[in-house]
Amino acid sequence: MFERTVQRIDFVGRWKVWFAISGILLLAGLVSIGLGRLNLGIDFEGGAKFTVSGVDRHLSTGEVRGQVLPNYAAKGAVIQPTGRNGYQIQTPVLSQKQIQRVEQNLKHGLGGEVSVTSVSPTFGGQVQTQALQAVGAAFLIIVLFISFRFEFAFALAAMLALVHDLLMTIGFYAIVGREVSLITVVAVLTILGYSLYDTIIIFDRIRENTPAVGYNRRRFDQTINTSIRQVIRRSIYTSLSTVIPVAALLIFGESTLSDFAFALLVGIISGTYSSIFIASPILSLYKAWRGGKLGRAAPASSSS
Amino acid sequence: MGSRRNNLLILGLVALMLAATVYVIFIRQPVQQATRLGLDLKGGVAVQLKGYHTNGQPVTRDEMQQAVEVIQRRINSLGVTEPEVQIQGQDQVSVQIPGLTNERQAIRVIGKTAQLGFYPVRDFAARQSVPKDQVKKVESALEKKLKGSSAYKKGKTKILFEEDPSLSGSGIDVTGYVVPDQPAITGKALKPNGAKVDFDQANKRVVTLQLTSDGGKKMSQLTQKMLTRSQMSGKPPLLAIVLDNDVISAPQVQSVLAQNIQISNDSLPQGLPESEAKQLQVVLNAGALPVNMKVLSVEQVGPTLGADSLRSGLTAALAGFALVLVFLVFIYRVLGLIADLALLIYAFLLWGIVVAVPITMTLPGIAGIVLSVGVAADANIVIFERIKEEVRRGKSSRTAIQLGYDRGFRAILDGNITTLITAFILFALSTAQVKGFAFMLAVGVVLSMFTAVMVTRALLGLLAGRRVRLTPPMMGVSKKSVQENRTAVGAK
Repeated sequence: MFERTVQRIDFVGRWKVWFAISGILLLAGLVSIGLGRLNLGIDFEGGAKFTVSGVDRHLSTGEVRGQVLPNYAAKGAVIQPTGRNGYQIQTPVLSQKQIQRVEQNLKHGLGGEVSVTSVSPTFGGQVQTQALQAVGAAFLIIVLFISFRFEFAFALAAMLALVHDLLMTIGFYAIVGREVSLITVVAVLTILGYSLYDTIIIFDRIRENTPAVGYNRRRFDQTINTSIRQVIRRSIYTSLSTVIPVAALLIFGESTLSDFAFALLVGIISGTYSSIFIASPILSLYKAWRGGKLGRAAPASSSS
Repeated sequence: MGSRRNNLLILGLVALMLAATVYVIFIRQPVQQATRLGLDLKGGVAVQLKGYHTNGQPVTRDEMQQAVEVIQRRINSLGVTEPEVQIQGQDQVSVQIPGLTNERQAIRVIGKTAQLGFYPVRDFAARQSVPKDQVKKVESALEKKLKGSSAYKKGKTKILFEEDPSLSGSGIDVTGYVVPDQPAITGKALKPNGAKVDFDQANKRVVTLQLTSDGGKKMSQLTQKMLTRSQMSGKPPLLAIVLDNDVISAPQVQSVLAQNIQISNDSLPQGLPESEAKQLQVVLNAGALPVNMKVLSVEQVGPTLGADSLRSGLTAALAGFALVLVFLVFIYRVLGLIADLALLIYAFLLWGIVVAVPITMTLPGIAGIVLSVGVAADANIVIFERIKEEVRRGKSSRTAIQLGYDRGFRAILDGNITTLITAFILFALSTAQVKGFAFMLAVGVVLSMFTAVMVTRALLGLLAGRRVRLTPPMMGVSKKSVQENRTAVGAK
């Protein structure tokens, strides 16, 4: 049955539908970001994070703010209960002495064990710059690599699919309101690698199936459709084999791991989708555009 | 498909690697100690510091190297095990101390630049028994007052403070001093290991300093000058002993001092508090940092939280791993079993590498491993799908397997190279956390190329070579789809 459904889908011809689906989701994400819902954590902005585990006294977040935290920390603090007997409290930048004070207060006020992470704003800024540089470098090197192994058209299509996945992940973060941390950046970069891997497997098949001479839009589009039909099963299985351990991380992992898993989950699903429904149509469209421009192809016959 | 001999060779190599892994993990040391855990899994303190010069000059690699050595010595004197001190980037140091739970102590000891200086005091102003939370306020009031003094000359002098617990028992005594901008004598005058905790005649705890002979000469000249000056001006000759811009003590110079100096605190009945004296000794003896240090980030993880993270990380990793194994068998039947075997070998060898290198296991590292399991499984999925395709076309299992590997390999190679590229870029991000993840991912990808491609191929080769007939259903291909495909091909 799966086979038949796949046979019937025109992956390349119906590109408007796929682009629209992505477009709506991306728009929702961008609007959320525009509304300032992207929650940058202390890794980027500086600040202190207190993780209290194994508490004896259970207080409401309001009580923690009012009774336990010193004034300077209570003001901008975000307090979240974690699990059954823990809290996570995030504050703006504090001095070492103030951090000590908050730590002591938490220890006495709630009992249990307090773990502290503090990041100075300069360091946060530096992390941010480095993260952006890393993403930039990754893009550049990957374009070069794909251009070298395939051709530029493939690199361009893969790259746009990457941008798609990147925006999709960040957009989802904004929609859900999860905290973006350094771990998220790691996840995003991993997604880039993963999404690309998936795209390359499909491109590899397209390259293999494409006749060596002459470009003809209809034939090329058909080749793409056939290639996708041949490898789509693999794409789905691979996604599953990666999603399974990632889902385990999401379920069993504590906060850091589950944040990481969340980003990966969104990214992997988006990456699988974009390899098939975004990268491949773009490849076709770009080739058609180039072909029309160079005027050496037969008049492009519309395929949809 | 590679000859039988090649296959046996590969499997022999695997057996050797497995034996080496068993040795490394189980025999060389107790299993519990085999894997080094990072402080996010074990609890401990991690501090990220940035070196800088107050005059804005860039920090050199050499200075950072010296700083790291000094920091290393200081941490060792705290008596903790396995501290890790590393230079990161141009001017940063990352310090990791597993097991330590007092980040304040760590920062105090590590970050002190230990710039020891002796300053002749030009003027001073004091306030007694100031409540703790008002110290800052009082200090700015004293500063204002001292700036009005005739001894204060902007740019040539500076104001430093001394804070001591009050003799009366409550509050803090605060004293502000006007001193020259540069110390008359610096920490260089101190003899190596010249600081010692000792007791004076009144049995009060003091720290004694021994100066070099050159330092001693300078000291006697300085104190001589101070005494003369004081006779002329009538002001008491105070010598401020300053560590990192904090006045530790400012004793009155009674006679010309020479090579032996004492730092004391007369306001307390026992003299210097024991912890303070000890710390002073450690910091002074461990030497001065060649640069100033600014704390960029501090992470302090409690042992319980660490243990929880480890448990949840392991549960996630194992559950994910087990599910992937089941999934592969479900789809690929016999082929899946072989892939499972390869994945198990993969996981075990990966553990061996972690122990042998050794790699400190962190939470992101676990995440990297979990993800690499997915990637390792994928290499098999790519190949197996190819094999199934060929089987559907009616090829014999032997031919199908051979074609599957030949055609699948290029895609896997390209795919894995891109993953490696991202891993290397991640590694260039200088944060320790990210490095752990990137390293594990890269190691995982390379190892998975070996186990998921070469080892499964050898295993399958032996299987097919021994005339075990792999029927299509055994590989997860239904008979029906084989026939359908045949007729479809025939119709063309």
